[in-house]
Amino acid sequence: MGVPFDYAPDRPEHIDVILNGLDRYNPETTAVFQDYVMQQCENQTYDCYANLALLKLYQFNPHLTRDETITNILVKSLTVFPSPDFSLCLSLLPPHILTPHAASLSAPAAGDASLPEAVQKLNVLNNLLGGADYAGFWAELDSDDLYADLVADVSGFEELMRVRIAVTVSQAMRAVKRSVLEAWLNLFGSGFEHFVGEVCGWVVEGDTVKVPLNKENEAKGTVVRENVKFDQFSRLIKRAYEQPA
Amino acid sequence: MSLRQPYQADGGVRNFKDDDSDVEEEALVNDYREQVRYEDGMDDLDRTISLGGSSQQDISAQLAAAATPLEFQATLETKFASYDNYCSLFHYILNSEGPVDLEAPSYFWAWDVIDEFIYQFNSFCSYRQRVALKADNEEEIQLLRDAPNTWGCYSVLNVLYSLIQRSQISEQLAAMQRGEDPAQFAGEYGNRPLYKMLGYFSIIGLLRVHCLLGDFSLALKTLDDIELNKKAMFARVMAAHFTTYYYVGFSYMMMRRYADAIRMFSHILVYVSRTKNFQKNAQYDSITKRNDQMYALIAICVAFHPTRLDDTIHTALREKYGEQFTRMQRGGPESLPLFEELFRNACPKFISPTPPDFDNPQINVDPVEHHLAIFMDEVKNNMWSPTVKSYLKLYTTMDLKKLAGFLEVEPDKLRNWLLVNKQRSRQVRWGEGGLLDGEVVNSSDLDYALQVDLIHVSEAKVGRRLVDWYLRNLARTY
Repeated sequence: MGVPFDYAPDRPEHIDVILNGLDRYNPETTAVFQDYVMQQCENQTYDCYANLALLKLYQFNPHLTRDETITNILVKSLTVFPSPDFSLCLSLLPPHILTPHAASLSAPAAGDASLPEAVQKLNVLNNLLGGADYAGFWAELDSDDLYADLVADVSGFEELMRVRIAVTVSQAMRAVKRSVLEAWLNLFGSGFEHFVGEVCGWVVEGDTVKVPLNKENEAKGTVVRENVKFDQFSRLIKRAYEQPA
Repeated sequence: MSLRQPYQADGGVRNFKDDDSDVEEEALVNDYREQVRYEDGMDDLDRTISLGGSSQQDISAQLAAAATPLEFQATLETKFASYDNYCSLFHYILNSEGPVDLEAPSYFWAWDVIDEFIYQFNSFCSYRQRVALKADNEEEIQLLRDAPNTWGCYSVLNVLYSLIQRSQISEQLAAMQRGEDPAQFAGEYGNRPLYKMLGYFSIIGLLRVHCLLGDFSLALKTLDDIELNKKAMFARVMAAHFTTYYYVGFSYMMMRRYADAIRMFSHILVYVSRTKNFQKNAQYDSITKRNDQMYALIAICVAFHPTRLDDTIHTALREKYGEQFTRMQRGGPESLPLFEELFRNACPKFISPTPPDFDNPQINVDPVEHHLAIFMDEVKNNMWSPTVKSYLKLYTTMDLKKLAGFLEVEPDKLRNWLLVNKQRSRQVRWGEGGLLDGEVVNSSDLDYALQVDLIHVSEAKVGRRLVDWYLRNLARTY
């Protein structure tokens, strides 16, 4: 079933009101949206459309920008890959954010990473996910302490990512080698068995993991048939009436 | 947009007009109001508005000026003056007591004025960004520093939203969709053609502004009230029709809904190619460039999402971009520069809404480069899909390691490519409802699943299309 892009099941009423009115441009609502982002991070809910509205407010009022909120939004949007949300968020950030020298230019004191640096780091993760290089994703995530800081606010980040990866696996595979899946999920031993068995409902048999058949991974050949509508014949029938036989 | 407040209501709306020029403008308009009251007996056409405090200008001349492009080499002063001109004109139209009694100079005027207004906003922002990046013209930099609010995004959006509200165009369009008489919902302003047309084209203007600012989902959301078909009001003005489909198509492309983007571009390109014989005029000339841009975009979308195109489009595409089209469809690293080139030529001139940082010239990157970088990441993710597909088409089952040998890559890498291709073949596609609605469908004729290292391939065969053939032959026999 499809849902419209701007729909979020858990969106509170007052956010909906702001999004549908002109208050979405009102800098005073920034605080409301920021709280909402925090809330999404805490309860593992997600509302891309509202987060984009906040990024737009930042775009229009750069002095209100809060780096931490931006990175939280980006991290949240990673948890719904392979949807384009991360890219859509990036599009609303300042144009220099992805250029290499911007990262070194505005390095703030106290050893904190600058916003461009953080965003570029997250973009690396996004590209690994986009290329379905899940083992690479976990390795990268583990390679720099900065990542731990960036994802710290998003509760259950690793779990959310594993579920997401499992979903993409279930779409493409009927059975997969245990070692491959372990690397993709970054889970080993009993943790792996628990996740695969309890959360996904898959079966571990020796060194393979069986994924039950679903609509996506059965890959059945189909024949697309023409869908003929009566309307297509309307002219013909009209003509038949008009012309005396 | 259910909560539209009147123009000068409280809350967020006031924030739209927090720039200084508005204060000045307020004074001017009050000044003007007094004069109007004073000369109340005069004919409407003779109404004048005070401009810059000194010159008196005929309002109809001002209306015409608002729809006329600036000279290509216009100076910054001209651009500032033009902005003030728009402000006073829109202020007059929106904030006079009651609707103003004006006859638009022509049917196209309302479109032209919105079009030109946004075009000037667009080129002003691009220009400002360039000046800041180059940092070699102190004089202009100083001028721009001193006027941070000229052509500000808040004022531009304010104008568009106010015109939409004043004309109650959303309510009118909603009534039309329900099959009711829109005039009942139009109110005092919306019943006048001037307001109605300005309001209507402001919706399309918003679509464009949001897209230029990189907010593609909001751009599509803006069109919720407008039904896209040939009967829509915008279809009566060729340039409006064209612009609408370009921006909708582009926004879809950036949301990775390639099938929907192709549908939009095809629709308008077919329309143009069928009507070009009737449109040999200036209006048509101005869209030729856009036309080529859309062919480039369609080529990009087809590379992402191979599909059968309409014959006319396919032929024209081969003529214009034959070589690039074939190479993009082949994928691989060699195709990357082509994607880059076509995207650069065909994308809108993206802007950054806020004044640039004049103190750090080098960080004022052209926003086009920013969007290009984001887009190219997705192209890179996808570039092996054509290769993978071309091999899989040949088999019903295939061993992963064997295929990896053919392709000379690591089996692990190939497994990733297979996952990527599988994910990208599932796309959201519009069925009915708002432009942002849609369902995830399998958009590829090739499907596969892995059983450990064995790839099972299946194909969706298209049955013979008989109805067209049947109808054509029947028509001939009559």
